[in-house]
This record gives sequence, structure tokens and C-alpha cells, in this order.
Amino acid sequence: MSVAKVFTRGLWQEIPPFRLVLGLCPTLAVTTAAKNGLGMGLATTFVLVCSNVIVSLLRKAIPGKVRIAAFIVVIASFVVIVELVMQAYFYPLYKILGIFIPLIVVNCIILGRAEAFASKNTIVPSAADGLGMGLGFTLSLTFLGGVREIFGNGTFFGHAIMGEAFQPFSILLKAPGAFICLGVILGVMNLISAKK
Amino acid sequence: MRDLVKMVVVLTVICAASGFVLSYVNEATKAPREYQLLKYVREPSIKAVLPNYTNDPIKDRITITLGKNDKGEPIEKTIFPAKDNGKLVAIAYASDATGYHGPIDVMIGINLDGKLTGISIMTHTETPGLGARVVEPVFTKQFSGLTLSGELNVTAQGGKINAVSGATISSKGVVAAVRNALEVFPQIKKEVS
Repeated sequence: MSVAKVFTRGLWQEIPPFRLVLGLCPTLAVTTAAKNGLGMGLATTFVLVCSNVIVSLLRKAIPGKVRIAAFIVVIASFVVIVELVMQAYFYPLYKILGIFIPLIVVNCIILGRAEAFASKNTIVPSAADGLGMGLGFTLSLTFLGGVREIFGNGTFFGHAIMGEAFQPFSILLKAPGAFICLGVILGVMNLISAKK
Repeated sequence: MRDLVKMVVVLTVICAASGFVLSYVNEATKAPREYQLLKYVREPSIKAVLPNYTNDPIKDRITITLGKNDKGEPIEKTIFPAKDNGKLVAIAYASDATGYHGPIDVMIGINLDGKLTGISIMTHTETPGLGARVVEPVFTKQFSGLTLSGELNVTAQGGKINAVSGATISSKGVVAAVRNALEVFPQIKKEVS
């Protein structure tokens, strides 16, 4: 499989939350606004790319029996780095995302890609895979956050766009709204794929 | 046996490398993290208690040592100076005292004459609807302009501060925190000017 193919796979064909239906916890919890989704997505992308690269570098050195433990140490280290950097330079976002930043450690996508892809491939495809999957995750979260923010609050990235007369569907900002939006998006994506 | 040794060695090396990198990142981000924390947690209070200023009190903050506590450790205080065109006009620092349920943290602004420019309650655990009302401007505004004198007491003790009704202990807690802060002011002033 070519590097370009590996990269674009994560953007539609295997886009993480909608196709693989992985990493749903942050997908549902932090997407109350497009900005939060984007921030969470980028943080995850960083961890995904870095851990994929390191795992692929070390794949021959790590004995099979302890590979999961080794992967988790690598992933957890990058998560702590993200957390510290966010705290230092993006404090408001850090406050909003809160507990979901440390929880990137247990995001299935990251361990999943380390185990399923990076531990069997060389660095360049692994980085491409991480970047593709990460961007796919970022796009999904931003899109979901955008939909919820537009209809739930009448704003997009904090700018009012729906006009004065708009009555926000505030349920979309609550937990059920996350499930409703996710379900509708999954349905639409399946519809598009079925037509092809 | 060789497998076992390899497992142990590899995991140890990975963990050690991770620890090394993390301690480096921790050190590297220490200053900006502290700055951001003060900026978002303390700045609203600092803004509320200081008169007009043109500098960044958080960037210009000074840490000074005020004697020692019971255990012989130095007591450190962070001072936020307010400067107008480079001239020091007032300082702000945090103080605390015990209220009805626990400590009340107060940010206090004082000009160079030792007069209060304002106070702002940062954290407290007082009773909602009663003691918690000490955060309201109606109560905190009364402190502006006062100095460390008899006036700085609740009215029941001959002062000028009207306690929040039904919350004398909370009100006294705030007064005590302010008094504590003013007591060390001469010492702090010597250090900063």
C-alpha cells in the first residue's frame, strides 16, 4: 500500500469515530463546540503521530510479550507532554478539555494504530497512518462540534451566525444531543457509501 | 531466560527514557505554566483590586520571604505590583483567614500610603446565601480607602464595616484576612520599593 493511500484511508474509508467507531468517549464528551473538538483532535493527532513513529522505530527491539506495556508507556509519555504544553500555552482550552486530555492515553485509536499498524510497518508509513487517522479524528470532532454548536448555540467557533430569531436546540449541547448527532452522521455516511 | 532478561531490560530502558524526557518537559514548561495559572486564576481578582495600571502585574510579580513559620520554613509571598508609566502606584497580594467553614482567600490591593484600593474574595467555602454573600461588591466595596486602624472592623466592634447580616463570622474572617495582610505591609513595602 502506498504512503498516500495509507494517509487518505484515515480521512474517509476508515475515519476513526464514524467508520471504526473508536475513541467515542472524547468524541461524545468534548464536542460541545467546534473549537473544543478541534483542540482535542489536534492533541490526539500529535500523540498518534509521535507514538506511531516511536513504536515503529522500536518495533524490532520490543519483545512481543511486553509490547502492550511498552506501547502504553510511549503513549502516556506523549500525553503528559501534550498536557504540560497545553497548560503552559493554551490554558483556557486545557480547562475546558480537563480530564479528557489525560484520558487520551486510553483512546482506543492510538493503541489500536500502534498495535495494528505501527508495530508492523516502517517509520514513514506509520507517520502517515498516524497523521491520516489523527486528521480524520480531528475533522470528525470539529464537524460534530460544529454541528452541535451551530444548532445548539447558534454560533460557530464562537461567532454568532444564525441571526437573532434563531432559537437554539439546547439539547444538542447535552449528552443526548451528542448521541443524536453521531447517529445521524453515521446514518448519512452509510447512505452515501451504500449509493456508491 | 534470555527472553525474560530482554523484556526487563527493554521495558526499563523505555521507562527511563520516558521519565527523562518528561522531567525535561516539566522543567521547560514550568515558568509559562505558572504564569498561565496566575493569569487565568488570579488576574481577575488582581484587576478588581488595583487602580489603573499600565504594566502586567503577573509578569512583574516578585516573590519575597517574610520571616519563618512555626516549622522554620520561610514564608513566601507573591507580590503583584501595579505600575503607571513605570512608576509603582500600588501592590496586590493574597491573604487568608478562617471563616465559618474554612479558609477564605482574599486578594488585597494597597497603595503606597497603606490605604486599601480594593479587596476581592478568591476562594471560600462559606454557606451559600449567607456567608457566601461576602463576595458581593456591597460588602467588599466598604474596604476601599481604609487603613489599618479601628475603622477596619465590623460595626459591632466599633469599625466601619457592615457585616453581611446573618454572617458575622464570615464577615469577621474577611476582616481578619485584610488585617493580616495590612500588618505585613510595611515589611513588604520596604522590600519592593
